[in-house]
Amino acid sequence: MTLGFIPWVRNVGRVERQTALESVSFGVRRGELFGILGPNGAGKSTILRIIAGLVVADSGTVRVDGIDTRSAPLAVRRKVGLCCTDDRSFYYRLSARRNLEYFGTLAGLYGAQLRERISEVVRLVDLSGDLDRRFDTFSSGMKQRLGIARGLLGDPELLILDEPTRAVDPAHAASIRAFVGNELVARQGKTVLLATNTLEEAWELCGRIAVLRRGRVVAIAPPSALDGRGIGAVRYEITIDRTDEQLLARTRGVPGVLGLTVESVGARVLLNVVLDSDPRALTELLRVVSTNGVSVSAIRPQQRRPAEIFADLVSERSDAG
Amino acid sequence: MLAKFQADGRKVWATFLRDARLMMSYRLAFFLDWFAIVASVVGLWFVSKLVPASAAFGSGHVATYFNYAVVNVAFVTLQGTALMCFENSIRNDQVYGTLEAVLATPTSVSLVVLAAGAWAFTFAFIQVALYLIVAALLGLDLHHVNLASLAIFLILSITATVPIGIIGAATIVRFKQTAPTQTIFGRASTVLAGVLFPISLLPLWLQAVSWLLPLTHALTGIRGAFGGASLRALSADAIWLSAATIVLLPLSLYVFRAAVISAKSDGTLGQY
Repeated sequence: MTLGFIPWVRNVGRVERQTALESVSFGVRRGELFGILGPNGAGKSTILRIIAGLVVADSGTVRVDGIDTRSAPLAVRRKVGLCCTDDRSFYYRLSARRNLEYFGTLAGLYGAQLRERISEVVRLVDLSGDLDRRFDTFSSGMKQRLGIARGLLGDPELLILDEPTRAVDPAHAASIRAFVGNELVARQGKTVLLATNTLEEAWELCGRIAVLRRGRVVAIAPPSALDGRGIGAVRYEITIDRTDEQLLARTRGVPGVLGLTVESVGARVLLNVVLDSDPRALTELLRVVSTNGVSVSAIRPQQRRPAEIFADLVSERSDAG
Repeated sequence: MLAKFQADGRKVWATFLRDARLMMSYRLAFFLDWFAIVASVVGLWFVSKLVPASAAFGSGHVATYFNYAVVNVAFVTLQGTALMCFENSIRNDQVYGTLEAVLATPTSVSLVVLAAGAWAFTFAFIQVALYLIVAALLGLDLHHVNLASLAIFLILSITATVPIGIIGAATIVRFKQTAPTQTIFGRASTVLAGVLFPISLLPLWLQAVSWLLPLTHALTGIRGAFGGASLRALSADAIWLSAATIVLLPLSLYVFRAAVISAKSDGTLGQY
């Protein structure tokens, strides 16, 4: 059932000169901020363009609010606002107002409704005072914000943001992120699909993230659950008083243990373990340790930095896991 | 249905305003266009001093070279617009980087391309009017114009040439390059369609080639209308242009649609 999901992508594949997609599937909930994260060339923009109807998938199905993008592309585009935040996606020699009037008319607005909507969206992105300036006089940050304003013009149910903070200084990037998270999603309840290769952005904003590598989804999960080698893996640092080869062999054999490394810190030993999401794995591991006469002095859940998790997920090793 | 028609009309108008504003933002080029028209008419007027009036310049009556050439040169503008405005529009949007942003709106690709003709043809008609005004000041005879014939031939000359322009736009969408056929067609038409000299001066086999060009029939009809000929007298050319429209227009729209589908499948719609 697709009701309640805005974009719904199933087994989408593309064979392309540069970016291929291989059986990509995911669904996005209404009101969710869903991230698509991946290195350059992973296929993020291709997926967004397929959802927006600009590119046709070779196979599979893409639906937006139940509407097939292939059979009814115009109906889909009425529900989708694609924010091309590329510097070059506006008419440089026209003012921001003239650009928005043109794109707003193409989005189906006209007359007083168009003028009011333009005032609203530029107020949201803090460009009210710059509406009559020519686009080529805008800074990079202003251009990005105008791109978001354009995407909002038709009041779309789904907003697609393709790297909205690319080429923006940190202060403006922070304000764009705050706008997306606080205004668009929290206050207006928009569904947002965000493609980015900025890890902190994805971690800060997204409710769930699909991680792409070479056209394949290698994980879909909330940022907090992306740690480890896949969805729901958890890490612990367990401090014990001693260890030996026999104990290590037994702990590695515990069901649910995905990885284990040992580190000596003074008189103590640290076991860094990666467990699957089954809570019985930790219980069983601790039972094995204590039955070997080893005492446990501390158990700490571990959070890795997003960059480490991302590197793990998109590395060749992730194929094996 | 009416609501969709109105919505499409507003999009065409928005495209008209966009193109007009963009063109007028290049002020020097904009005003040089007007100067070029005046210079062109004055040049023809001086050349005509060297060429005696002849029956070859009129449809069955003696006419001046100025009357013959200035009407042709003025209305060739329409052919140039029909050939180039659609592919120029696609090409400009590709180069500006705006094509994907435009195509991401709920607007069909065909409407986006065809709407580009709104300002382009308006501007071309203004240019034609300026040609005729300057020419009239220099002695162009406008007393015998058959307005009904002129109106019909203006419409037919555009509808018979627009398909070639649309196929050119399809070439840009699919292959990211201007079709050489556009240039060849444009240049060949200028030489073979009797713009600067009557086609009766051409060898017979070239006259046969000339007969295949829409511009030949368009100019014959338009010159005839300026000489006061009725639509009945010009019916052969009108039928040729109508037949070309009926055959080429659906074909060109089909080719364009196929090019868009192909570019979407390739993922190259916004590339150039």
